[in-house]
Amino acid sequence: MAARDPHRTGAVRLAATFLRIGVMNEVQYRINFFIQLVQSLLTIATGLVALSLVFAHTDELAGWTRPQLLAVMGVFTMVGGLIRSVIQPNMQRVVEDVREGRLDFALTKPADAQVLVSVRDVRFWQLTDFLVGLVVLVVALVQIGGSLSARDVAVFAGVLLVGLVAVYCFWLLLASASFWLVRMNEVQELFDGVYRAGQYPVGIYPGWLKYGLTFLVPLAFAITVPSEAVTGRLTWQAVAVAAGSAVVLIVLSRWCWQRGLRRYGGASS
Amino acid sequence: MPNDPVVLVDDLRKVFKVPVREAGLKASLKSLLHRETRDVAAVDGVSLRIDAGEVVGFLGPNGAGKTTTLKMLAGLLHPTSGTCRVLGHEPKGRPAELLRQITLVMGNRNQLQWDLPALDSFELNRAIYRIPRPDFLRIRDELVELLDLGDLVTKPVRNLSLGERMKMEIVGSLLHQPKVLFLDEPTIGLDITMQKRIRTFIAEYNQRYGATVMLTSHYMADVQALCKRVIVIHHGRILFDGELASLSDRFSLDKTVTVRLADGEEIKVNAPRGDIAAATGRLLAENDVVDLTIEDPPIDDVIERLFASGSAP
Repeated sequence: MAARDPHRTGAVRLAATFLRIGVMNEVQYRINFFIQLVQSLLTIATGLVALSLVFAHTDELAGWTRPQLLAVMGVFTMVGGLIRSVIQPNMQRVVEDVREGRLDFALTKPADAQVLVSVRDVRFWQLTDFLVGLVVLVVALVQIGGSLSARDVAVFAGVLLVGLVAVYCFWLLLASASFWLVRMNEVQELFDGVYRAGQYPVGIYPGWLKYGLTFLVPLAFAITVPSEAVTGRLTWQAVAVAAGSAVVLIVLSRWCWQRGLRRYGGASS
Repeated sequence: MPNDPVVLVDDLRKVFKVPVREAGLKASLKSLLHRETRDVAAVDGVSLRIDAGEVVGFLGPNGAGKTTTLKMLAGLLHPTSGTCRVLGHEPKGRPAELLRQITLVMGNRNQLQWDLPALDSFELNRAIYRIPRPDFLRIRDELVELLDLGDLVTKPVRNLSLGERMKMEIVGSLLHQPKVLFLDEPTIGLDITMQKRIRTFIAEYNQRYGATVMLTSHYMADVQALCKRVIVIHHGRILFDGELASLSDRFSLDKTVTVRLADGEEIKVNAPRGDIAAATGRLLAENDVVDLTIEDPPIDDVIERLFASGSAP
């Protein structure tokens, strides 16, 4: 849509402005940085304890060695930080706005409504998770040994982005559901609970759960696939499936969002 | 195209499906299986035309269909039937060309970012409407000055008073210099001084920029101060559309004569319009009068009578 109508504000420019102002504003609350940092460290510490318990009994988990699983935990923490800083706050606000009728304001603006509701909020300090996760990932990679080429890093960044897009689309689907189901308060807790499963490669789970975490909630694409990219386990089939699923999700979520908007215009009061 | 109407509405209807459910657990269980709905026409055949530069007051009790009509004009709700056009566009598809030229202000909701200073929210609106920076700065400063906001623009919105916040809302929603303003209860909850301030501002804005204003309000004072023309709506239908002055001519049959006597006593007499001269004469002849006023009944009373009668006589 954005490309076809030259009058619609460019999505990237709009996102950049919102991001800039959001960050400027959050930087004022420095204490939040320390609180978030402590929280990120605590979370990772709990994860490490769990991991060491697992390896007290076995040397590998479904073909993943100890440092490789540490890498997964690093990616898991990084991705979690990104989701909680840029995706989740916006999508939750959509749910609240639909319930309280405040979405009207977003809809009276001459910008693509989906773009507008997706860039309004940013929780800058949640990125401490990203940093802590990155540190864990680097430590894991050092333990694994060997070296990463620039190409490996680029592939990692690429599949990570694809995974994030998939998660964003999944959240947009949840948010769109609020046009039909007004009470969606618990959806975030539900997502957080499911997200925790991504701490381990989805391959360790039984079949139904594995497919659920891949195609229902696209955690495999956001966490497992990027982890595979830095641990030399990535297959091109996995990349193709991730990219294909992301495209399907983009189209599907956009369609549902627009159906939802139509419903909003047709039935709300 | 000076003669093209800004708003043109023809036989507009909006029907909501409202679930019907009796009280009690049994009824709610039953409604799980079979949901009964009832059609409620919030707007039921409204036609109107508003020309450029007009300030029109939309009056009616809660649930009369005022907000629903405004929302259809702003493209938020889709009409069940009938047509509406704003600046020649059909609002339903939310064409960017139209949205750039209108604004919607709702007195009971805020659109500014709660934790940010209003200045930052203005900046976001600049990005959304793609206002060139020089224009943006000029209009922003002009509006801030018109509303005496001064340094308040740098305070987080959550620290502002209700009235200050409303003023900020208004600045934020006018930065793109809209040609049409939809104001839904812009003075709700504000104290009298602030209501007056907002009112003067709307009048000034209308004069200065020639913008068309459609305003709903519960406060008659808003309407009396701003609108030459009023549209009275009740149960989704238009009861009256015309000059505010002729509203009382048509719907109030009485006038009130008040005289103050030399000893300070006040006498009020209500008389039908036709008899008002005779009644005044009698009062003057029989009493030692020092002051005299003849008034239309308060407009609130007129409107109340209009609603009570349910339809135009």
